[in-house]
Amino acid sequence: MDENSSARLKRRLLSVVYRIGLFLAMLTICLPGLWIVISSLRPTVEIMAKPPVWIPQEISFDAYVSMFSGIGKGGIPVIEYFRNSLIISVTSTVIAVAIGMAGGYAFARYRFRGKSSVFLGLMLTRTVPGIALSLPLFFLYVRLGIIDTHFGLILAYVALNVPFTIWLIDGFFRQVPKDLAEAAQIDGCTRWQAFWQVEFPLAGPGIASAAIFAFLTCWNEFALASQLTRSVSAKTLPVGLLDYTAEFTIDWRGMCALAVVMIIPALTLTYIVQKHLVGGLTSGAVKG
Amino acid sequence: MKGFKPSAPFLLLLPATIVLAAVVVIPLLLSLYSSFTPFRLTRPETFYVFIGIRNYISILSNTDFWWAFGRTVLLLTIALNLEMLLGLGLAMLVEKATRGQRILRTLMMFPMMFSPILVGFQFKFMFNDNIGLVNNALQSLGITQDAIPWLIEGHLAFIAISIAEIWSSTAIFAILILAGLLAMPKEPIEAARVDGCTPWQTFRYVTWPFVMPFAYIAMTIRSLDVARAYDIVKIMTDGGPAGRTELLWTLVARTAYSDGRMGMANAMAYFSILLSIAFTVYFFNKLAAARTQIGAEW
Repeated sequence: MDENSSARLKRRLLSVVYRIGLFLAMLTICLPGLWIVISSLRPTVEIMAKPPVWIPQEISFDAYVSMFSGIGKGGIPVIEYFRNSLIISVTSTVIAVAIGMAGGYAFARYRFRGKSSVFLGLMLTRTVPGIALSLPLFFLYVRLGIIDTHFGLILAYVALNVPFTIWLIDGFFRQVPKDLAEAAQIDGCTRWQAFWQVEFPLAGPGIASAAIFAFLTCWNEFALASQLTRSVSAKTLPVGLLDYTAEFTIDWRGMCALAVVMIIPALTLTYIVQKHLVGGLTSGAVKG
Repeated sequence: MKGFKPSAPFLLLLPATIVLAAVVVIPLLLSLYSSFTPFRLTRPETFYVFIGIRNYISILSNTDFWWAFGRTVLLLTIALNLEMLLGLGLAMLVEKATRGQRILRTLMMFPMMFSPILVGFQFKFMFNDNIGLVNNALQSLGITQDAIPWLIEGHLAFIAISIAEIWSSTAIFAILILAGLLAMPKEPIEAARVDGCTPWQTFRYVTWPFVMPFAYIAMTIRSLDVARAYDIVKIMTDGGPAGRTELLWTLVARTAYSDGRMGMANAMAYFSILLSIAFTVYFFNKLAAARTQIGAEW
């Protein structure tokens, strides 16, 4: 009897410890983001207050309103940055996915000599740190006259995304059984038809998540963008964020608001793809 | 046209190869060449002066460079190891949860959506010595009276940067390890328990070998992109105070764009590229070995 109740106590204690641990872990993960959102909604006076004001006394959307009401009021031209980010990210994602589909299909469906070294070689181009790559690109772009243009950044981002897109899409094509396409071919499809009618629809959700992942990479990239763009005509949002810190006094509230604007598309998109993403990464190439 | 018929995989990989050659390989060859010149942005004619390995020699005898190099390796070692451990812990916590696993998984992915530049800004805000969340909390709880100069003192700044880096990347490990845990068959664990293994032994000899390849996938993915710590450092301290948090990448950027010494910066950049490649190849091999070890195709 005694042993029983002590075992029960121990068990209950363990479950309490477990819950506290889980709660603390989730708090650590969520708190920084929540803090940004809260700070963007409260007046600057409250952010600066000493002793600190923990619970917001009033909620205002002033920071957002002034950010989107033009260059003069918000301090920085957020709308232009937003537009640049969107154009550059979408275009380079579309191109990178098209190229990545061809490459991923080659790795998933064909055997050829030096396959795994070709794969490693492609991956290695991705390891080049953005800042190291920016040096020669900067020089070349100045010579070619495409510095500070959408085109220049799109080109760089396509190259940045292709290796990882191939990795992901390869994984998704591997999940589609080979027999299906073969059966379609026996039934009279050409290989091309078999691909579009059978394999592509099945791998579709996976390819969509690869696309979203590529989009997010472009949306978030900073090291290359900060050197290859200079003016309002091509600067992206992450570079724009730095506009706030360049000044002597930092407008914390404005920065928080811009951060929220940057994070919302990313948040929504990641939520959509989360399931497929893990599947694609773990069933990927390397082997065979 | 008849005589030459290229194979299908060759054609399929052609676009990827062309793009990568044009945007990565050729520029890198150019930068390799210019690392042998005293090229300065302000004096274009210096691009054609060949000075051999003099840049490399002066880098190797430069203590600032070695500090930055050492600090970079230290940061990566600390960050990658802690991310792996914390990711493993987090994954096991979430795996144990009986209810609400889906929402926990979504929350866990949260930091992945933050771009490194945002992570940097967010932690710069939180670690601000005057209005930051961390100091406010410490002072309200009465742990300390003074404002701790998180980003102003060298060691503390390094710690703050490591925390930011770990916060942002633990999610990748947690998610992939969780995928491994969920994919794992339950029989071996039960068998181990029947045979009288302690929980630790079960973990060490049954669970861990199975999950390891997933951890290496995460490591490989992370090592493809280790240099994004640049973004975090750039916005949090910009290498300061007095170069105490200078990493290889911020040093390259400073030498190239602030000082305009492109030739020298390219030589430094080659060290950073080699470092990244070393990390990736290392984990890639580990991954391949781990996969053959469990001999399973998933």
